[in-house]
Amino acid sequence: MNAMTDLRLMTYSEAIREAMAIALEADPTVILMGEDIGVYGGAFQVTLDLIDRFGPDRVMDTPISELGGAGVAVGAALTGLKPIFEFQFSDFAMLAMEQIVNQAAKLRYMLGGEASVPVVFRLPSGSGTGAAAQHSQSIEAWFGHVPGLKVLQPSTPEDAKGMLLAALADPDPVMIFEHKLLYKMKGEVPAGHYLTPIGKAAIRREGTDVTIVAGSIMVHRALEAAEKLAAEGISAEVIDLRSIRPIDHATILASVKKTGRLMVVYEGVKAFGVGAEISAMVSESEAFDFLDAPILRLGAADAPVPYNPDLERAAVPQVDTIEAAARRLARREV
Amino acid sequence: MPVEVILPKVDMDMSHGTLATWHVAEGETVTKGAALFDIETDKAAMEVESPASGILRAVTAQPGDKVPVGAVVALICAEGEVWDAPVPQTRVALGQPEASSISVKPPAPVASPTQPAATLARSAAPSVEPLSDPRPRATPAARQAAREAGIMLEDISGSGPRGRIQAADIVAPHVAVTGWTPEYGPLHVTRRKGQGVPLLMLHGFTADSQSWAPLEKAYPDRALIRIDLANHGRSPRRRIAGFKELARMVVDAFDDATRDLEQVNVLGHSLGGALALALADVRPRKVSSLVLIAPAGLGPEIDAAALNGITRATRAESLAPWLRRLTATPEAISDDYAKAAMHSRKDSALRAAQADMAAALFADGTQTFDLRPALGRLTAPTAILWGRQDHILPQSQVISAQGDFALHLLSGAGHVPQIEIPDRVARILVQHLRD
Repeated sequence: MNAMTDLRLMTYSEAIREAMAIALEADPTVILMGEDIGVYGGAFQVTLDLIDRFGPDRVMDTPISELGGAGVAVGAALTGLKPIFEFQFSDFAMLAMEQIVNQAAKLRYMLGGEASVPVVFRLPSGSGTGAAAQHSQSIEAWFGHVPGLKVLQPSTPEDAKGMLLAALADPDPVMIFEHKLLYKMKGEVPAGHYLTPIGKAAIRREGTDVTIVAGSIMVHRALEAAEKLAAEGISAEVIDLRSIRPIDHATILASVKKTGRLMVVYEGVKAFGVGAEISAMVSESEAFDFLDAPILRLGAADAPVPYNPDLERAAVPQVDTIEAAARRLARREV
Repeated sequence: MPVEVILPKVDMDMSHGTLATWHVAEGETVTKGAALFDIETDKAAMEVESPASGILRAVTAQPGDKVPVGAVVALICAEGEVWDAPVPQTRVALGQPEASSISVKPPAPVASPTQPAATLARSAAPSVEPLSDPRPRATPAARQAAREAGIMLEDISGSGPRGRIQAADIVAPHVAVTGWTPEYGPLHVTRRKGQGVPLLMLHGFTADSQSWAPLEKAYPDRALIRIDLANHGRSPRRRIAGFKELARMVVDAFDDATRDLEQVNVLGHSLGGALALALADVRPRKVSSLVLIAPAGLGPEIDAAALNGITRATRAESLAPWLRRLTATPEAISDDYAKAAMHSRKDSALRAAQADMAAALFADGTQTFDLRPALGRLTAPTAILWGRQDHILPQSQVISAQGDFALHLLSGAGHVPQIEIPDRVARILVQHLRD
């Protein structure tokens, strides 16, 4: 492929739509399911016109029952189809917990490997849209706790497309947490079919003083903070986690061994979150001896996401809070 | 009736001890005589045995707490037994941290008010003052850097929050001055297959594991484990801040080498003898018996001129006169022997590293470390061998030392009887070592 001609500027949601179109065209077993994904085009207009191009048999509106819809998707996957099921908000996945955690994640194990559930769940998530406590959560860490699932968090249009195609190529259930604020973000996206490897983090910025591990939209905030810190002579390395389950231990450990300082930034509630897992993993590893400061976690406040826009902003890590924390860490003030 | 676990007095002038680690967690079952916790005093570290069998309860002292001698640090209770919580005595008043360490008389344990068992767990938790914790605060990276550079964290002031030592605070040793570069890694250990409880051997200053060869020949059957000390033989060249650090490295190597063994016999010569004493002091259960040949650490005197002469010598002609101080009679060291010895010391980095080490261990011609308290505490059967013509360390040091040990004063031997009269030394080993 010629990279120069095959890279186009497109939005995160366009990249996801393109991935779905490629899959629908290439593989007759791929179907889309979800509430209002047909004529309405999806809660965030991600599926948009796909119903016109592929028809209602392959782009199916499901009734307002996440449990029912996810159950049908899991059943379809068991019979050999490859459903992509869209939740309107990741918060609503709680209604389908039984199908995700108890069925999709476990059937391969419980049936001795004789069956697999190649379903993909798409979950718009995160705060910043003024949608209040029940539509703004970041619950990806919950699913990081479930063996049998893969949990992805694309931060760029290129990854959003590549991860969806990789999820479809995976024989087991994959959950993709798409950030609502990223849908309109533009970036270069390769044409055609390609796979973003699952479980491989990306170093988005190299640095030597402090490692910032982030996921989803926090990657962009961390990069912006790192840019500001660079002006002060602080060199921050920013790692885009990309996959919560499995976690790319090697990339994180190598970076910690280099910088000796680690900060984990995530949008989920700070306690019992992604940061706890990564922090503990580093403490248990050979990188422990290289730590030259306590590990910092920056997560959401210990409260439901507020509706008030100022409080909503204050409740989750922002560029300025990331910048301040990384500065203290790099200056050995922590 | 619960049995009180008290902080024992292990040193004549000890008023407090620092609880280093618990070997048993609260609520776990422990048997009488099993290792219960480690304490550290200014001079030594040692294991304390459980005074009774039962369940460990009411732990009032946590690792790092400085506790007065005689204070109750926990209780051993029977299954289902109800107990009263002792009052924690982990700290002297803030602002006068030195006051009680000067006091020779340990404060008596304070009687505690009776509390219902259910409230115990919370009320017994000691309030530790991190500010007055004597142990250095350091990041893992700083600890690693200090370990590799051979620097004691106690000697460093940290630049981080609350005085935390960070990697940048560990200044590299004086490489340029001494002309050698520190190396990393564990001490070099070799083994000889054989019968019986293995004999672990620690050589003396400026020697190495190969110096045991004459004795090994005279004592052929026993399984052997030899450790090369830091800056000796094939072990790494390291900056050594003091005896404590040297001992720590030996203990680490000992732990590694004896992991799969229930017990070993330990033989040490001179500086290796002092290290063997330190080892037996902190690993009493691992040491079946102890043989010390002219051990260092039993008094301040040492022939510093000989030490300096040996470490400085660059030619056989300048080495030989000093080597002849090691033996009962100068004739024992031939010119050829001196040449061979010089050949093994041809590496200038080794000589420089050993000279630095001598400056630390034998500053101003004095043995800076004192193992006499450890000798007094020994529980393993111990034999001490000393040449009657030892010119390096005076045998009067052992005559006046306290402790239970068999003493063999050897005629016709100087500071290195294992080389001068290996057959007679081997005979004593046969009598003394346990199987």
